[in-house]
Formats: sequence, structure tokens, C-alpha cells
Amino acid sequence: MDKLVIADKEFNSRLLVGTGKFASCEIMAEALEKSGAEIVTVALRRVDIENKNDDMLRAIDVKKYLLLPNTSGARDGEEAVRLSKLARATTGINWVKLEVTPDPYYLLPDPVETLKAAEILVKDGFVVLPYINADPVLAKKLEDAGAVTVMPLASPIGSKQGIRARAALEIIIEQANVPVVVDAGLGLPSHAADAMEMGADAVLVNTAIATAAEPSLMATAFKLAVEAGRTAYKAGAAAASKRAIASSPLTGFLRDIQKEE
Amino acid sequence: MEVLKINGVEKQFAAEQLPSTVAELLEQLDIKAATVAAEVDGQIIEHKNFTETKLRNGQSIELVRFVGGG
Repeated sequence: MDKLVIADKEFNSRLLVGTGKFASCEIMAEALEKSGAEIVTVALRRVDIENKNDDMLRAIDVKKYLLLPNTSGARDGEEAVRLSKLARATTGINWVKLEVTPDPYYLLPDPVETLKAAEILVKDGFVVLPYINADPVLAKKLEDAGAVTVMPLASPIGSKQGIRARAALEIIIEQANVPVVVDAGLGLPSHAADAMEMGADAVLVNTAIATAAEPSLMATAFKLAVEAGRTAYKAGAAAASKRAIASSPLTGFLRDIQKEE
Repeated sequence: MEVLKINGVEKQFAAEQLPSTVAELLEQLDIKAATVAAEVDGQIIEHKNFTETKLRNGQSIELVRFVGGG
């Protein structure tokens, strides 16, 4: 598979994996391994003072994976900037998956606050990967602001509905000069393959892997689907047609040949 | 009695027992400094400054670390 390049960094895998919702660190580590992912997202939360040995980082080999901290929980741009800076202070990582989701029901990203935060973070030296609604105009504005990717949703986070924002995603992919990572809502490997066939540069999957009965097996399935989708995109699919078009020749059938008068 | 607010919860210390620096607080709480970020009264403290950042009665401290997330 051709390499994915984000902010001058090359990746062999086009599958980004989130680390939330796994039943244990061991299950997560195995799923990450099987997924082939090189970029994994993490969240930032208060240390539980009563149970301080809950350090999930011990299960992630930071030499092998690029940790991509998210700003989940931020309700506005200011909170997202604060979380980004705390993430940078934790491990020195200046990459951030910027997400601002004030609405807890659909968890849809706030476009105004996201753009505002992106501008501040880029100026402060962050490598910004914003999570956005499938909005082509916003995607362009973020690109202009210096975002290194855009990460539009396929459908609401964790909903596993697959690609519901198809028309807008197609426009984003067509117009983008930075990699498009389809994030959120991909529930099945076929959804991921679908996104890749459309020309997405990568996908991010968390819930669909973490909540499968066998996460590591599902991670393998997503890895294969992403590779298949990307390869199909590179192969260039022929257009669909409403009527049937025979694959076999329409001549030489075992029938009496009618002589034309 | 002296007080530090740690992650939104007030923690009381007997007089003279208040940890004098961020590093000392982490040690008292048995938290590995390398895995956390700290804010004191809204100011982020870099790891290299944990040992010299003094704490005073009444300050508010946030200690965060990475957890699983998407």
C-alpha cells in the first residue's frame, strides 16, 4: 500500500485506532498490534487519586505508536487549547486531535470553536488534526488555518451507522490538499473499505473494534478492509450502471442460427 | 490546618505537613511524575520544574494523565 503522509511524517498504515472502551489494557494492546495502526488516539483525564495505578500508557509501546492525544471533553475552544497544552506537557507530544463537542447527545463538533482553537494551536506550534462535521467549507478553512489533516465524521461518534454524510465527504475529499481521515461512525470493516474506496486517505476506528466480541479479530478485519479499500481506490473502479451489462460474450450461444431473409 | 484543592477535591494537611513542591506532592500521593501533567492555579508546570515549583496553602492543583480515548 502507498504511504500516508501527515505533516511530513510517513506511515505505512492508513488505519488510526482509538484506545477507548477496551475491556482491559491487554485486550487493547493485542488489538492495536493486530490493527497494524501506527497512530493511536488517547484522551486526557484527571488522575484518579484513589486508584492511581490506572496508567494505561504502560500497555502502549510509545516507540512503536505515535500517540495522538485528543481534546475530548472540551466544550469550547478555550478548553480544547488548555487540554492540548496539558497533553503536550505530559509527554512532549505536540500532535493533537482537536475536538470540541458541546452537545452530549450527538457529540457533534462545534465548527466555530474548532476553527478558533485550531488557529490558536497552529500559532503555538501544534500539529493539529481537527475532528469536524462533514462540512466542505469548514474543511477548507481549517486547511487554510494550517491544520495538517481534516477528520470529518461519517456519522455520529460511536454510532456505528457507517457513512451517512456521503455527499459532503465526497466534496471534502475532492477539494482537500491535506489528508482526509474519515473519523467516527464506522461500525463495520465494509464501512471503512467504503470510505477508502471513496478516496479517503485514512480512517479512524475505535468503538467498532473495542466493543466487538473479539477486538483483536475485528482489528485484523479493519486492517484488511482499509488495505482493500485503498487498493481498490488506486485501481480505479469503473462507473456503475443501472442496467445489466453481461460479463460473458453475447455471441456463440448453442442455438439455431436464424438466417436473415 | 492547611488545604490544597487537588482535582477539585479539598485535601487537608496538618500544619507544616503541606508538601512544599509539586514533586513532593506527587511523591506523597505515590504518583509517577513522568506520566502526568500538572497545573497549579491554572498554570501548567513543565516536568523539569516539578521540583522547584513551590506549593502554598489554598492552591488549586490539577493532575491529569492519558486514558483510553478515541
